[in-house]
Amino acid sequence: MKSKKSVSYQGHDSSLYAWNLCAGFPTKRKILPALLFCSLISGTTIVAAIPVDGLSYDSNIINFQQTITGTVSDELGPLPGATVQVKGTSVGVTTDFDGNYSIEADSDAILVVSYLGYATQEVAINGQQTLNVQLQPDATQLEDVVVVGYGTTAKKDVTGAISSVKAEEIENLPVANVEKALQGRMSGVQVVNNGGAPGGETKIRIRGTGTVNNSDPLYVVDGVPTSNINGLNQNNIASLEVLKDASASAIYGTRAANGVVIITTKKGTKGQKPSINLNAYTGFSNVRKTIDVLTAPQLAEIKIERSANDGADADAVWSDPQYLNQTTDWQDEIFETGYTNNADFSVTGAGENSSYLVGFGYYDEQGILSNSFANRLTFQLNTDTQVTDWLKINQNLSISRRKTNSPNTSSSQSGVIASALRFHPGLPVYLADGNYSTTQVSSEFGDINNPLHTINEDNDLRQANTRLLGNIQAEIKLYDGLSFKANFGLDGEISDRKRYYPQILDQTRNRGLSSLEREYSEFYSILQEYFLSYNKLFGDHSVGAVAGYTEQSFENQGFYAQANNINDSESEKILSNGDNDNATEFRSHDGLRSMFARVNYGYKNRYLLTATFRSDESSRFAEGNQRGNFPAFSAGWRISEESFFNVPLIDNLKISGGWGQLGNQNIDRLQYLATLTAGNRYSFGQDGQVQVEGISQSTYANPDVTWETVEMTNFGLETSLFDYRLTFNANYFIKNTEDMLLRLPAIGSQGTATAPFKNAGEVQNKGLELELGWNDQKGDFSYGVSANASFISNKVVSLLENQDYLTSDPFSRTGQELSRTYIGEPIATFYGYKSDGLFQSEAEVNAHALQEGAQPGDVRFQDLNNDGVIDDNDRMIIGSPHPDVTYGLNLDFGYKNFDLTAFFVGVGGVDIFNAEKTVGMNSSFNFNYHAEILDRWTGPGTSNSTPRVTFNDENNNFRTSDLFIESGDYFRLKNLTLGYTLPLDITEKYGIGKLRLYLSGQNVFTITGYSGFDPELGLTNGNLQQNVDTAQFPQSRTYLLGVNLTF
Amino acid sequence: MKNQYKYLVPFVVAICLVQSCDDEILETTPYGQYTSAEFWRNAEDAEAAANAMYQPLRWEDLYGHSENVFDNSSDDLFRAGDHGYETAMENFTFDASNNGFRYGWTAKYEMIARANAVLINVPNIEMDATLKNRILGEAHFIRAFAYWRFSVIYGSVPIVLEQNVIDNNFNIAKSSIEEVRSQVESDLLKAIDYLPESYSGDDIGRASQGTAYGLLAKLYLYEEDFAAAISAGEAIINGPYALAGNYRDNFEVASENNPEMLFAAQGLDGWADVPKTYDAPRPWGGWDFHNPVEDIVNEYETDDPRLGYSILRPGDMIERGGEFGTVEFTADLSQTGYSLTKYWSFNTDDGTINRDHNVPILRAADVYLIVAEAKIRQDGPGAGDSEINIVRNRVGLDPVSNAGMPELIHERRVELFGENQRHQDLMRWDKAGIVDIVSIYGEDRGQFDPPRTFEKPKHYYFPLPQSEIDKSEGILIQNEDY
Repeated sequence: MKSKKSVSYQGHDSSLYAWNLCAGFPTKRKILPALLFCSLISGTTIVAAIPVDGLSYDSNIINFQQTITGTVSDELGPLPGATVQVKGTSVGVTTDFDGNYSIEADSDAILVVSYLGYATQEVAINGQQTLNVQLQPDATQLEDVVVVGYGTTAKKDVTGAISSVKAEEIENLPVANVEKALQGRMSGVQVVNNGGAPGGETKIRIRGTGTVNNSDPLYVVDGVPTSNINGLNQNNIASLEVLKDASASAIYGTRAANGVVIITTKKGTKGQKPSINLNAYTGFSNVRKTIDVLTAPQLAEIKIERSANDGADADAVWSDPQYLNQTTDWQDEIFETGYTNNADFSVTGAGENSSYLVGFGYYDEQGILSNSFANRLTFQLNTDTQVTDWLKINQNLSISRRKTNSPNTSSSQSGVIASALRFHPGLPVYLADGNYSTTQVSSEFGDINNPLHTINEDNDLRQANTRLLGNIQAEIKLYDGLSFKANFGLDGEISDRKRYYPQILDQTRNRGLSSLEREYSEFYSILQEYFLSYNKLFGDHSVGAVAGYTEQSFENQGFYAQANNINDSESEKILSNGDNDNATEFRSHDGLRSMFARVNYGYKNRYLLTATFRSDESSRFAEGNQRGNFPAFSAGWRISEESFFNVPLIDNLKISGGWGQLGNQNIDRLQYLATLTAGNRYSFGQDGQVQVEGISQSTYANPDVTWETVEMTNFGLETSLFDYRLTFNANYFIKNTEDMLLRLPAIGSQGTATAPFKNAGEVQNKGLELELGWNDQKGDFSYGVSANASFISNKVVSLLENQDYLTSDPFSRTGQELSRTYIGEPIATFYGYKSDGLFQSEAEVNAHALQEGAQPGDVRFQDLNNDGVIDDNDRMIIGSPHPDVTYGLNLDFGYKNFDLTAFFVGVGGVDIFNAEKTVGMNSSFNFNYHAEILDRWTGPGTSNSTPRVTFNDENNNFRTSDLFIESGDYFRLKNLTLGYTLPLDITEKYGIGKLRLYLSGQNVFTITGYSGFDPELGLTNGNLQQNVDTAQFPQSRTYLLGVNLTF
Repeated sequence: MKNQYKYLVPFVVAICLVQSCDDEILETTPYGQYTSAEFWRNAEDAEAAANAMYQPLRWEDLYGHSENVFDNSSDDLFRAGDHGYETAMENFTFDASNNGFRYGWTAKYEMIARANAVLINVPNIEMDATLKNRILGEAHFIRAFAYWRFSVIYGSVPIVLEQNVIDNNFNIAKSSIEEVRSQVESDLLKAIDYLPESYSGDDIGRASQGTAYGLLAKLYLYEEDFAAAISAGEAIINGPYALAGNYRDNFEVASENNPEMLFAAQGLDGWADVPKTYDAPRPWGGWDFHNPVEDIVNEYETDDPRLGYSILRPGDMIERGGEFGTVEFTADLSQTGYSLTKYWSFNTDDGTINRDHNVPILRAADVYLIVAEAKIRQDGPGAGDSEINIVRNRVGLDPVSNAGMPELIHERRVELFGENQRHQDLMRWDKAGIVDIVSIYGEDRGQFDPPRTFEKPKHYYFPLPQSEIDKSEGILIQNEDY
């Protein structure tokens, strides 16, 4: 200990004056609120802090000083790194590895003992020389620690926008991936479910869709950055933080533009005795809703009317009695009761210097479509070892094996759900001879296959993934608050997709040759990082800094092979059994090399300042364009810490603001090179049997291509009231994406080679995010409410020169364009005609602008440009797939041993384009129709919205129009769980620490006006087409029974 | 605590190592792909690039299906199948956003892009001169062929040549039909210079001098330059391009690459299918497109074997093979009761559809009739008797004498039925005042060939795809009357 100065100042107001202690002499300086900010970064800061020089400060008289020693502990043992401070002074020390401290203080002073995550205690010295303090864990949000890039920080010191999810919120939800569990949990975080197929893909959008390109966030799992978290078991997650604004995420530079999701897996706790946890549940699921379709007699009636309307004779098949009996409800045939089983088993414990967690889990889901399933085996091993008092090593490892199989539901040509809606209801599943019924009997029945045939015979589409994600970290305490960390990570995945396509002779979509294809690929990424952290308290000043170097390589390689003529037996499904086998190998490399730094400064815990900088070099771009620099700044003011702030109701009030730049390099590789690709197969020769391949240009080049830049400004407000029972947080952000990569338009006259990307577009997302919570306890009854809502608006600011909009893939069944992305409008708005009811008479047709082919009973489209002709120029934006608001609402109740949780999610102000109806209601297709077609126009006044039935459909009634725009608003009870924990005195008899049984329901009910299967639809052409209903795999309703057991 | 620093040594060493050798992390090898800078090295590259020019021919967007949809507008075929958009194409009630006008557009420009790439790069490759000439000749032919198809479908289109590729300038205005035809002519003349007269062995099926002469004859006939058409066509008549012994040889897998076959989209089952097997009846594994109508069936003379070689009629017995044995074609197997049978057959070992069939695009018989027509229109009836009679003789029909345009029109219709000629022929003859297409298409021939309104001159050309007009931002102008 160095010598100590003692100063006093009479009659001051500590909130208005501060002592410049660093300079070593007292000065009086008025503080301009909000000019000085304070920040103290991480939990490690405090852990690493060592006894500091300081000043004892007393406002009255200088008293007798003495040295007080003692131990700070919690119920499990000593707490290293706890802060012991003399109240009213800036004198403070932290406890050493054994929880011991030694501090000099006046004999009548009061010690303030604090540690993150524990309730702060004040202990009067009263002349004692030894003071041992036991801290109690404190669950108030304010003391929570949040994990940020390359460190942790106390929630109260955060100046950026970070949302957190705790383990208990996502544990034991019956979902196959972590992303699904996050839906509605946080403001500003939208979860986009691409259908409900077991193991199906889920996307996360943080603060809106920032770009028309890949807008998936970066994930960082225990310090390892990765592009996805497939295979991670949500029951192994301790906490999940979403870094939403630039200040929080800029430390990840060129991968941070779409936000960063930081995941920390569970660890053993120091001093904990070994315990075994078992979580298991089993349940079943059903389809939530089906769509009414015509019966066989109704269908025949409609078809006959259709021909009559077209002045043609109906095909004889419609009066053939064998097809007139209602025989099969195809939706009933394809949907079945699914089931979900999950078992997680983990052991945690700790020795004197180390702790561990070993976890093992198995999840198994059988989907609501026959023969669809997903299962996942996970293994987790995390250890933490304090090797010496200055060296700590920790290691995390998760291994998973996933298998999925699901029939195609995305194709509008052959998707199995669409086929079930369209297959002739008068055909049986099986014919008398045991074969599947088929539409080959008549082209009047359309070009679709028997859906049961597809599900049972043409559905060997298996995929298996084996993933390993792990790292080892060493932390060395160097000197007085300074530590060095090295982090080595490995992210690897083997993906094996094997698809068998049998020969199909008796279905319309036939296949002359059976074939087997296999794609086997290996991905691995190696990470190495070295960084220094410095954290120190200088009296009222806290300084934190982190700076380092990181590099990560990404290698992907594998092969694709295909062979024909392979028998449909498991033992024979081997590529080498086939003919014409061909194979291609692929390989790619990406690399990223970066330097990063962050400085935090805090003054008196009131004024907080953070500055971040990252410099990345990326192999995605040509030499000379590889380096990107990403700065960010933010500041916070904890008004509630000011002495002038005297509002008893308010426990915490903080405002913050920040600005920064981020990058997005998620684009196709090698855009700066024009590439040629082999494989254009053709044949020559006398007998036409000479196989040749051609090589042709597949991409055009843009040597100047570089990353997209996001510039984000954030304003935050954080409050706690009524003894922390009420919390309210609000954030407002403006997120501008600049240099958005756009493909030059694929003009037909260029051919089919892909045009390159060019940095040209701008997109703006603006939004307000609100989070509100209330927790209280009355005797045995405790309850909590938390709600969040996000209001995000999306707008395209500019596109390529001379470009007004981007188009999207046409809906393949009808060839209709559905969505366009216009300047000044949100991404992927629906674009089409405005309808104006139906023509009721010839006179109405004649009175209207010239609409080629229109007859009474056809849709009247509005002449928007008033040129007297209805043509392509009469289209406009007819809807937006972006909700005005997305929200989540969680209600918790606890009474004695019962607990009840109800979790709701919803969206408002969103449109869906029901493309399914443009086929399902469209009599120019030779299919079965939705029952709604019974409301068709059959004469003046019979309908003003469902057009007459016609095969010729010369009016093109089912062109993209507002007739198919529906509100996609929904309010869904996403999860309802009722639990009962057996009384401890009973379970203890059996050596059980905790035994809880629960009943849970997922997607219990949905309030929506939407007429399709499910209002959650996802993306159908990247970000350029969203919320289009193509009869995707719907979300199921699941009920389950579970048990949590701890020994 | 001081001794801890010695543990830093390995980390410092590690960092130094990393820093010194990690430029590899930013390397950007395009594994498995060629870059334009490193391709075009040798004859092998040139040949691979040449092979690629042919490949789009077999796409569904071209001769796999969509290119022949344009002939549904003729009076030979009912579209059948189940592509809704083809209704409007057949009935002349389409607008420019109809899918049918979009499908082949980019595919033909892709053929042009591949030909342009060859024409830009192959001249600089040091390689065998004969092979180099052949490849350049193929490129000129392929480009000519694509523009030829553009000229008959849309009339006037943008002409993308080597310089557009070099300047990366593709969004350009369309050229007139005369300019497009003139581009076809100049490319065909160069192709004739460069290409070998014919091929043997593994190269059969490539464009030859005969392919170029044949197309040139057709171009001149469309331009009504009869002397030039005759002269170009006589290169076929006098060259090694004899008609196949049997008419049906042209549509059988084993014999389709015979000398008569000047150009075809080549298919090879399992390696490179041409999905034109669409046409087969559905219960037999096809999708029942392009049904012949009653009127074409009646057009054939009694005893003309070409009817049986081209069209299945109720009562026809076919060897299907496998478990099916011999099967009977019945009226309910197609919508009109007839089925076009030129582009598919059965694998008789298992009764599946054989996808090995080629789609003939240009046959010597077509050129014989081109020469005959040119001679009749230049010199009057009887001038084309010899060429017409060679075609008739092959199928055992009596010769005609003093044949005029009616006989020629009949012969073309039955000889080339289903080969994507009839609608174009009728429009050509209508423009020349030889037939009245409005009354032919206006005739009521029943459910599958109802009266259709052909508007002149609007329907002489189909509209450019609306999507391309939109993308061009005002540079591409729609055809008149659309």
